[in-house]
Amino acid sequence: MLNCKQASQLASRAMDEKLPFWERAALKLHLFLCRSCTNFTQQLNFLREVSRRSRTSSNFQLSEKAKQRIASALKSKQDGD
Amino acid sequence: MTTNNKDLNIQTLFEEYGDYLFSYAILKVKDSHFAEDLVQETLLAAFTAKNSFSSQSSIRTWLTGILKHKISDHFRRQGREVKIEDLVDQDEADGLDAFFKSNGRWIQKPDAFPSPEAALQQQEFWKIFQQCLAGLRPKQAEVFLAKEIYGLSNADICKDFTLSSTNVWVLMHRARLSLGNCFKINWKS
Repeated sequence: MLNCKQASQLASRAMDEKLPFWERAALKLHLFLCRSCTNFTQQLNFLREVSRRSRTSSNFQLSEKAKQRIASALKSKQDGD
Repeated sequence: MTTNNKDLNIQTLFEEYGDYLFSYAILKVKDSHFAEDLVQETLLAAFTAKNSFSSQSSIRTWLTGILKHKISDHFRRQGREVKIEDLVDQDEADGLDAFFKSNGRWIQKPDAFPSPEAALQQQEFWKIFQQCLAGLRPKQAEVFLAKEIYGLSNADICKDFTLSSTNVWVLMHRARLSLGNCFKINWKS
């Protein structure tokens, strides 16, 4: 029987790769019995979703203005070299 | 100079890595104008120092390395001493002891989060998200940004950061645990 530390590691890995059959079964059983790890699994999905969406938020993307400014600074440097 | 270095086109690097460098910078300096300037300085320095790029390292690592020096300079000008060592990786032990008791049970039981839609409707959510990302260990933050936010595949992450796939999931697992805890502490939904 997995403990929570092991189950959370498997849950995290399952976000990126397909787990082998027995690990998947053991995780499923643990999650069926454990509220905390079920919550953690939900957090993993939450993190994935907000991360994907954050890409287009202004906090993670240069503004068009900044892009143009930097591109022209680079161009004049490159031309001057 | 090898052909490799001569072929480094700074505009292409900007297009490819600009947003990544920006979001890394903003986590550290917390100001979008400063972060923009740092990206520009980094790429200008990269252009001047093209020869220092060795094909042993990935372009991402090389550029991030230059950016870290720029960030460190920026803090020094402000009279805040942030050593470059604070921006590169420290020795990480297992790292899971902060989250689990020796019997493998949670120290702090994870709560259920609201839906992403509900979270994104709250104005302060992005601020907390950034703050929590900024609180991660350096390498965790870099890998998390590249992988989850910029959508790099595991294979590209391994190549860019010269990590084994086991390293990557260990780093990711710790990052996710830390972010979960950080939200729990800072986010009143």
